[in-house]
Amino acid sequence: MVSFCSCSSRVPSRGAADFSMSALRSKARLLTAVLLPVVGACATADPPRTGRIVSSAWARPADSGATSGAYLTIINADSSSVELVGASSAVALAAEVHETMTHEGMSHMMARTAVAIAPRDSLVMKSGGLHIMLLQLTRPLAVGDTIPLTLRFSAGDSVMVNVPVRDF
Amino acid sequence: MRGIIAWALAGVLLSGCDARGTFDGVAVDPPRPMPPVSFVLPDRSSYALGPVPGRPLVVFFGYTHCPDVCPTTLADWKRVKAQLGRDAERVRFVFVTVDPERDTPEVARRYARQYDSTFVGLSGDAPTTARIMEAYGVAAAREEGSAASGYLVSHSSQVFLVNGDGNLVALYPFGTRWEALAADLARLL
Repeated sequence: MVSFCSCSSRVPSRGAADFSMSALRSKARLLTAVLLPVVGACATADPPRTGRIVSSAWARPADSGATSGAYLTIINADSSSVELVGASSAVALAAEVHETMTHEGMSHMMARTAVAIAPRDSLVMKSGGLHIMLLQLTRPLAVGDTIPLTLRFSAGDSVMVNVPVRDF
Repeated sequence: MRGIIAWALAGVLLSGCDARGTFDGVAVDPPRPMPPVSFVLPDRSSYALGPVPGRPLVVFFGYTHCPDVCPTTLADWKRVKAQLGRDAERVRFVFVTVDPERDTPEVARRYARQYDSTFVGLSGDAPTTARIMEAYGVAAAREEGSAASGYLVSHSSQVFLVNGDGNLVALYPFGTRWEALAADLARLL
């Protein structure tokens, strides 16, 4: 099953040193109640009350051949947990889920091959935390463009998102 | 009596504006003189990171394959510049790569200009890169990546503010709100 959503509401601004998954998750629980009606309004058909709902997607501008980063929020509307297991885009040779961690002034990234989302919980990607690396871009991404991005989940389903490109 | 109270109040207010309290970022107290370091630009001219009276320097060390921390920082600078308006013309915003092997001077320049045509992107040779990283206390290390990403680079991610006299006066750890840098620059300008 492939779902579509192209919502463009903003991810809440980041706070200092607020990058841990547990912190994101606790915020995400609060966001779920707020975002559900928002993403429902963004869907083109009847909003799904099961499966995955994606909102607040955006990607950074970058040159052809370079690397961009994309951010989004995923709501797992199911009564069972699911994992985000992969991503792909027609504008990049590869797309990988990574997490930035900053410790004592040093920032580094770690690839995440599977990111769990609890039942009726949300996963919030944002600057300084989880993000999707769009590698070896096949064309330049400019502010105002929209790019396709497909997310794959452990339940076997995929969600395709139209992601706007913007500075922040 | 009123005069005494007024002077006492002024003293309290002024003490809040000493070298430690004048920055929204993390103040470097006492300010630390930074050595001038010259880079060669793609057109073979040189660009010196040294003191220029009245022109503060904002510096960040990163790499152009970085999809998150580095773009966030340069996008924040764009907001800082917009906030400062015309005063921002006196600020030198400089991105220095810690990955000169992949980031040639031309790549570094294009990367910085992607955010603002006045942002400067610099890539030095190995000795130059090592010298400036040591001067600013910056660390970087390669980490394994995938076939698509190539190696990743862990790196110090704070922004440095150097005043026009060439003294490092404040730091902004990654995650600091961009308004802090804007406010501190406004005080320096």
